[in-house]
Amino acid sequence: MNYADLFRVTLPETVLEVAALLVLFADLGLLRKAALKTRVTAAAVLGTVGCAVAVWAVYYEGAAGLSFGHNLLLAAGGSAGVAQVGILVLTAITLLLLIDCEFTRNAGEYVAVMLMAAAGGLIIAAAQDLLVIFIGLELLSLGLYVLTAFAKKSGKSAEAAMKYYLFGGMSAAFLLFGFSYLYVLSGSTYLPRVIYGVNIAAFNGGTPLLCVALVMIAAGLGFKVTAVPFHLWAPDTYEGAPAPAAAFIASVSKVASFALFITVSYTALNYFRILIPEFSAPGSHSYVTLRAVSGRLHETLSFLSGWASVLIVLAVASMIFGNLAALAQSSVRRLLAYSAIAHAGYILLGLAYFSWTNVSAQAILYYILTYGLTTVGAFGVVSVVERATGSDRMDAFLGLQRRNPLLGAITLVLFLSLAGIPPLVGFWAKFNLFAAVLGTSHSSTALGLVALAIAMSAVSLYYYLQVLKRVYVMPAVEETLVRAHPVTMTVLLLIALAVVGMGCFPALLQGWIASFY
Amino acid sequence: MIEQAVPFTPQLTASPIAEILWLIPAVPMVAAGVIALLKQPRRTAAATLAIGSLGFSLLLSLVAFGHVLAGWSNQVAVRETVNFTWIQVGASTVDLGWVLDPLSAVMMVMVCFVGLLIFIYSTGYMAHDENFTRFFCFLALFAGAMLGVVIANSLLLLFMCWELVGLTSYLLIGFWYQKPSAAAAAKKAFLTTRVGDIFFLLGIVWLFNDTGTLLFYDHGAGSMEGFALAGLLSHHVALGLTVAGAIGLLIFAGAAGKSGQLPLHVWLPDAMEGPTPVSALIHAATMVAAGVYLIARVYPLMSAGMPLIRAGAVTGTTAALAVVTWIGAATAVFAALIAIAQNDIKRILAYSTVSQLGYMMAGLGLGGVAVGMFHLITHAFFKALLFLGAGSVIHGCCDEQDIRRMGGLKVDMPLTFITYAIGMLALCGFPLVFSGFWSKDGILEAAHSGAIQGPFYLLVFGALLTAFYMTRQVSYVFFGYWRGHHPAHESPGVMTVPLAILAFFAIALGAIGTPAWPWFRAFLDGRSAAFNWHGFAEPGLALLMLTSSLVVFLGIGLGIWLYGGKSPSPEEPDVLEKATPWLWAGLRDRLYVDEFYGATVIAFYGWWARAADWLDRWIWGGIVAAVAGFFGLWAKFNRLLDMHFVDGGFDKTCEEIATGGGLLARVQGGRVQIYLRILAIAVVVLAAILFWSSRA
Repeated sequence: MNYADLFRVTLPETVLEVAALLVLFADLGLLRKAALKTRVTAAAVLGTVGCAVAVWAVYYEGAAGLSFGHNLLLAAGGSAGVAQVGILVLTAITLLLLIDCEFTRNAGEYVAVMLMAAAGGLIIAAAQDLLVIFIGLELLSLGLYVLTAFAKKSGKSAEAAMKYYLFGGMSAAFLLFGFSYLYVLSGSTYLPRVIYGVNIAAFNGGTPLLCVALVMIAAGLGFKVTAVPFHLWAPDTYEGAPAPAAAFIASVSKVASFALFITVSYTALNYFRILIPEFSAPGSHSYVTLRAVSGRLHETLSFLSGWASVLIVLAVASMIFGNLAALAQSSVRRLLAYSAIAHAGYILLGLAYFSWTNVSAQAILYYILTYGLTTVGAFGVVSVVERATGSDRMDAFLGLQRRNPLLGAITLVLFLSLAGIPPLVGFWAKFNLFAAVLGTSHSSTALGLVALAIAMSAVSLYYYLQVLKRVYVMPAVEETLVRAHPVTMTVLLLIALAVVGMGCFPALLQGWIASFY
Repeated sequence: MIEQAVPFTPQLTASPIAEILWLIPAVPMVAAGVIALLKQPRRTAAATLAIGSLGFSLLLSLVAFGHVLAGWSNQVAVRETVNFTWIQVGASTVDLGWVLDPLSAVMMVMVCFVGLLIFIYSTGYMAHDENFTRFFCFLALFAGAMLGVVIANSLLLLFMCWELVGLTSYLLIGFWYQKPSAAAAAKKAFLTTRVGDIFFLLGIVWLFNDTGTLLFYDHGAGSMEGFALAGLLSHHVALGLTVAGAIGLLIFAGAAGKSGQLPLHVWLPDAMEGPTPVSALIHAATMVAAGVYLIARVYPLMSAGMPLIRAGAVTGTTAALAVVTWIGAATAVFAALIAIAQNDIKRILAYSTVSQLGYMMAGLGLGGVAVGMFHLITHAFFKALLFLGAGSVIHGCCDEQDIRRMGGLKVDMPLTFITYAIGMLALCGFPLVFSGFWSKDGILEAAHSGAIQGPFYLLVFGALLTAFYMTRQVSYVFFGYWRGHHPAHESPGVMTVPLAILAFFAIALGAIGTPAWPWFRAFLDGRSAAFNWHGFAEPGLALLMLTSSLVVFLGIGLGIWLYGGKSPSPEEPDVLEKATPWLWAGLRDRLYVDEFYGATVIAFYGWWARAADWLDRWIWGGIVAAVAGFFGLWAKFNRLLDMHFVDGGFDKTCEEIATGGGLLARVQGGRVQIYLRILAIAVVVLAAILFWSSRA
């Protein structure tokens, strides 16, 4: 192992950690006597600068030409690069939305914890080794528990954090247990070797153990991406956590976890592509078709198609349960939580029909990045409304269009994009994802699942419109203006413009993602 | 293969002006967006924004035109494209872009210039309307969309702007939506053009499927360039029609809808319910010409497989172009016939527009891009002039539109009269001085040199009718004595000055298309033009010009003989009506096309709607009601169970909890223990699924 390379590949994480320490230093040292407003602003700005420098570091390590096969613990470039830049940008946006918040007096600590959690996200996105994956996940999760609990005066915040922590701890236990089985079966923690060893083990009759290991891993990762039935913490946490923390959980943590899913799928499929020549034939490059073309290796490979069926089960359950449960919500935060579950379902479908080419990876990254951006904006809107009305009930949104026309318009754009209405970016995200699924497999099952996903997004339109109906159609109860900090409004407006702009020119983001490969 | 004789060196790399060409449509569109946000009383701001934005576009188009012209005089055929990828799905991409070539340059200057004059005129015409700002918002949006059609280098981008143009047309026809007739006309226009657009869209999809691109020009890889066309030609659909021809016909269906060609012309006369500036801008000068422009744009596709084009002289035709020619010629005569028997001043002009669009189509089909486009440009000026003149007359006569209730206006409205007369003579094709003569002559010449003489005779007959109905109209309106109620007055300068400018161009534009100096054709075809009196000496040309002049004189003479100097009272039947009542009735009722559609298409849709309604109400509704009833019963059954068996115990528990611990109960509302139990169960179930599915 070359330590210079290792340093270069961990440069973004290092930058974030240094930034976190700087924030702490500034906040607790230089600005101890300053007003809360100044401290929040200083911390957020410092953190944003740190993120910007880390983005540069990502490009730098990408340009250094380090990628898979260097036997480093972390990858650079490719999907990892895209996800890392996405994580950093979303973190920066969340930090900027913090400027207006007053749920805590310890702004510096909050920002520092957030930056450290983001560093965990960066590690997950790039990890190539089971132990590194686990460390990254824990770094991220521990940060998130703290962030959730940060509104110390709020009982709900503490309750949410407690639930999140208990559930997360249990999931982490499952995950680690699953990893240990994989280590037993393969004798390695390095992902490509694990895949290889698992393959040998399955050939020698290790399938039952493998099944248990895979399901445990699915449980651990399903918790992170809020897949049904590992989603139970999400509504409570989204509702109770301070708004910036909820936004951070809904976006950054999701991006990192799905990036991990992509790494695992990509490594596995490319391994088998080398192993079985027929597998490279066009139209037969997914787990599901894998089984059909590989009769002679049936025993070895069957567990992989089993993995796909686990993902399909999770995807279908998430799509149906998330969307239907969202229909019944009267709290917008809970609604966003259930909608997050539904969106995770769509993405899991894309992962179940993963292609060894870059198409699936890029479609999933496109989806998760745009979803993260939109959902951060949505939480920003919720947080502004909450501060003005003291509630996140749907009725708090009554007459928003009169009380703050710009915020009303931003809500319209963001929620319609979440519902996948063209010409907003949410439409293209869904379109690309489903096109990738259908491009990977021509089976009627895939078609049926995509049809289900589309039907479910039609259902989702109903609950998004419930919010918009209150913003635009129903009569206002109060007429007082809803005010927000100019920075908050600017950030939200920029998010809305990005959603519209990327929707009108979908190739912009696609081209940017493709430039990493 | 197509041999396009282009002696000029092609220039393909985009210059700075081509790079910023997108501003030309974008600026009016942004202005429309800003105007939409203005409050109703901000009239001056709205008008200034609209006029300013279009003025900017005009300046930019003039610069672009100058660039193309400079290239042309240096013997360079400019065709600069800027393309970008819009959507990428897997390996296939959908590209958009814009193009700067002589065709788009000429068209955008015309649209901006005529549009600007009409915008200025509108500030006078609409001065008393309370929705002044809304009007300018729509106008600006229209201008932006139309310019988008003009510069588009992708059939898809063109189609998007095309639909936007259709939308603004709908909004503007129905601008006075309180009038039921206006609302109905708007709906009719939208739906009728939609019929054509469906075929157009099919053509687009087919083209994309076969060539993989919708760009017109893409350095050899575009759909209008040799490689793609050769591929389209190599496949046949049926009856010897190539795929290129079939796609061309589908696209022509869209163009026919927009340009009011038979049999989709019915919406255009009704569209005159909109304000007169709208009729002038959209339903005479620009939008209806978009169909013609579209055919000119896809001319390589329409003419693909033509035996040979030699230095601009067309020797042969294709199936698609033959259809274009015949439909155009038939429309030209058909609409001119109907125009004879109309009494509404704008309706006459509307049918005349339909007829002239027919000429343009026939010109494209017979003589190629330059012939059709020249008539498009000259027509845009003199028809806008006529419409604005008609608007001035209507304005001066207190909103009277029936030509039988006018008369003698040449004294009351001298400026309007002079300019209107110029427009009328240009439309009739009065020899030598007026632009309409030269552009129509080009079409007739192309028709005469064609293989089949049928279209030629139709078009000559159409020219006779044109001269006749215009003379009738002018006699009624400007000569004789006043038969209206209120005394007429001349319009303000903001309306008459645009008339004068348009009148100037109605004459002057003829100079660039005479046989002696066929600059326009040379410019579009990328050849050099030299002034040469011998242009007139081509065999048969003098005879042809003589024929067409005679026809015009005959038409005008007939008109003067029948209507000149007489002032029949409004109730009195027309001269022709006395002679042939049945023919007159048929023409007056627009040859019963609307009635025919009412009895067939619309009746069928009515029947279909009733059938669907019945199906919905009784079959589907029944199923839904049955399901709902079943669940209702089930719910009742459950409630029964609940009330008598479950509730007893449940109520007891509830009471205990309520008394037991208010705060604690609420904190535990989420029940994290249950959550963790579900997590464990889920793992077991999933493991079972995985195990089972990897066994199978």
